[in-house]
Amino acid sequence: MSTNETKTTESLSGSTVQRFLSFSLGTEEYAVPLLRVKEVIALPDVTPVPYTPSHFLGIMNLRGQVTSVIDLRLKFRMKKVENSAETAVIIADLAPLSLGLVVDSINSVMAIRESDIADRPQIESSQSSEYIIGIAKRDKKLVLLLDLAKALSVEDHAALSKALAQPKAA
Amino acid sequence: MEDFEKELKEGFLQEAEQLLLDAEQCFLSLETLSSDPNGGDRSIIEKIFRLAHSLKGSARAVGFDDIGHFTHELESLLVKVKNGEIRIETSIVSLLLKCNDHLRTMVTTLKADMAARIDSSALISEIQDHMNGTAKAASAPAPEPCEEVPAASAFEPEPAPAGPTTFTSAGQGTVAELFRQATVSPLPLPASVAPPSATPAATPAKAGSAVEEGIRVSLKRLDVLMNNIGELVILQTVLNQHKDQIQSVLLQKTVGQLEKITKDIQGISMSLRMVPLKQTFQKLHRTLRDTSKALGKEITFETSGDETEMDKTVIDNLGDPLVHLIRNAADHGIEAAEERVRAGKPRDGQVKIRASHQGDRVIIEVIDDGKGVNPVIIKAKAIEKGILSRDAEISDRQAAELLFHPGFSTKSEVTDISGRGVGLDVVKTNIEKLQGEVQIESVPGQGTTFRILLPLTLAIIDGMVVTLGEERYVIPVAHIHESLQPTTDDIHHFTGVGEMLSLRGENLPLFRLSSVLNRKVKARTSTDCIAIVVRTGEKPFAILVDDIIGQQQVVIKRLGEELKDIRGFSGSSILGDGRAALILDINELVGRNMTRMSSSNATIGVA
Repeated sequence: MSTNETKTTESLSGSTVQRFLSFSLGTEEYAVPLLRVKEVIALPDVTPVPYTPSHFLGIMNLRGQVTSVIDLRLKFRMKKVENSAETAVIIADLAPLSLGLVVDSINSVMAIRESDIADRPQIESSQSSEYIIGIAKRDKKLVLLLDLAKALSVEDHAALSKALAQPKAA
Repeated sequence: MEDFEKELKEGFLQEAEQLLLDAEQCFLSLETLSSDPNGGDRSIIEKIFRLAHSLKGSARAVGFDDIGHFTHELESLLVKVKNGEIRIETSIVSLLLKCNDHLRTMVTTLKADMAARIDSSALISEIQDHMNGTAKAASAPAPEPCEEVPAASAFEPEPAPAGPTTFTSAGQGTVAELFRQATVSPLPLPASVAPPSATPAATPAKAGSAVEEGIRVSLKRLDVLMNNIGELVILQTVLNQHKDQIQSVLLQKTVGQLEKITKDIQGISMSLRMVPLKQTFQKLHRTLRDTSKALGKEITFETSGDETEMDKTVIDNLGDPLVHLIRNAADHGIEAAEERVRAGKPRDGQVKIRASHQGDRVIIEVIDDGKGVNPVIIKAKAIEKGILSRDAEISDRQAAELLFHPGFSTKSEVTDISGRGVGLDVVKTNIEKLQGEVQIESVPGQGTTFRILLPLTLAIIDGMVVTLGEERYVIPVAHIHESLQPTTDDIHHFTGVGEMLSLRGENLPLFRLSSVLNRKVKARTSTDCIAIVVRTGEKPFAILVDDIIGQQQVVIKRLGEELKDIRGFSGSSILGDGRAALILDINELVGRNMTRMSSSNATIGVA
């Protein structure tokens, strides 16, 4: 799946226009490549799964398929925000799996030209910034463009396995 | 490679696999035939001959010369067997089986890479050695050591006319067609063979009536269909639950009719994945043969009910446990020949495998007429291994069940065959993964029967929906022995040990679903809860849930890749109200908590 993502990034280096779906987490704005988005739905009933990290909300019924749901706000270690009518779930296509991502609100589809994308910030941080494709400017706000596969699968798998490796002591 | 040619080759390889399976079965029956003084039924040799012949013809037709060349050599050997120049004995059957394995390897290799070349020279020279060697030893009318050359060339003219005809029909498809064609035309056989007119005609006729028209569908497409039907069933359940809210009579009626059709479709879709046990049993025959040869024991094999159909997933996962049981029967069950004679039993041991339906379950029995299980030895062994406490009193049946205990093996030395450190507990675990159970029944001196009970399918199970606070979970009904509402007198708490449930004189460790799942829910008083007794695991136990909602058939949905490492859940399902629920692997979940119970608890010793 990372090869796919590279392609997206590569095509950005041309002057082609990329489409992103932008959404809010708290007061911050993020966007993911539109091609990665299968659909957007309202927050459904989610069944919690024991022994998973707190950002792993649980599983839901997506038209007969059981799909895992991750709270992106908790995932990025933000403060828990009350769900509102705006709260939505982005169904992301991270072949072979699809995942539901809970976000505070869906904003719009942005068409961004390559020249408008700034490189990812060079910040000294313990966390890798690999999962950031770049930064785009919209109106006066900055939007962080996310590489979903990198943002979720790599680290999440590790987090999940870790949580499972140490089944709770009685 | 042109598409047409590629298709042709693919078709050939698929059919060849089937032919080789048939051939293996024939080779094995050839062996039983050899022990028959009258020479038995010659039609088997005829059949093998035809199989080899059609394989050779069509391999050459589609351009797999390696297979063609090798089969040609094999055929020369078969000619000799057929003409009685080579006696059918174990060594020859072993060689034939080896050839069969080699051909199968060839087919598998070619499947992966159609341009692959496979070297068969080693085996070919073995075949030639055998032809020459045996010819000498048996002092058959073999004029020269290079006898296979005239035999081969004598054979050569025959496939030539078959060549062109096979090519055209191969264009439309199958080797099976070729096979039929080849058998209908009488083969120009040497006169020494039994009446060729009767047998070749009878076999294809039988085969023809049994074969139903069919098409090949990839398993992937089938799975997509099954998934969609699963969805349909769930939607139907939702519809049914809200049926009474529908005002219109017409709509209500339509929902009713839809339900009927959905059920029919579901029934059909389940049958699509059903395959007969035949192939599995055939492989077991081979296993038994190899095992008994290695052990130097004479064992006959008998199967029945091999037409019994089961879900492909179940069958795929059944192979290993059955191989284990068969090896176990041959190694630990059947005695050495002298011992058998002394015990007044026939010299040759017998292993039977039997499949049958019982309700919505399939029963597979592996039966041997060996020495049986001696409860005294088992008890002693169990005490020695610390599995059983010294003063425990158990019935013979319970003693036999101890064989399934992890780390239990009565045979002191490790053998090549079945004592590889993994015991019957692996069989038990594997079967339980398939939602089935294993039973053992044994009469000392007369033999042992292992009985495997399995559900027909894994796609749908009977589930008990239980609640924990607001949450709901599904426990497979197969795991539930009983459920009850405990009174305060039934539940006892001991610091350091935990809770115990007294049930008709038995003390079962009692767990709470909330703590087993590590969920924070408001604890109910125990007497408001329901205790579910589970006896399918290593040790029996009881688990407290808040309530039982009811029993229903649930369609199993696999959990996503991101949850594949999580243990304790065998899947998920969508309940009638459309919400997802987890299916609990209750033994796994509780097993983790079991360690806190002291190992010398009273449960195993108490009847």
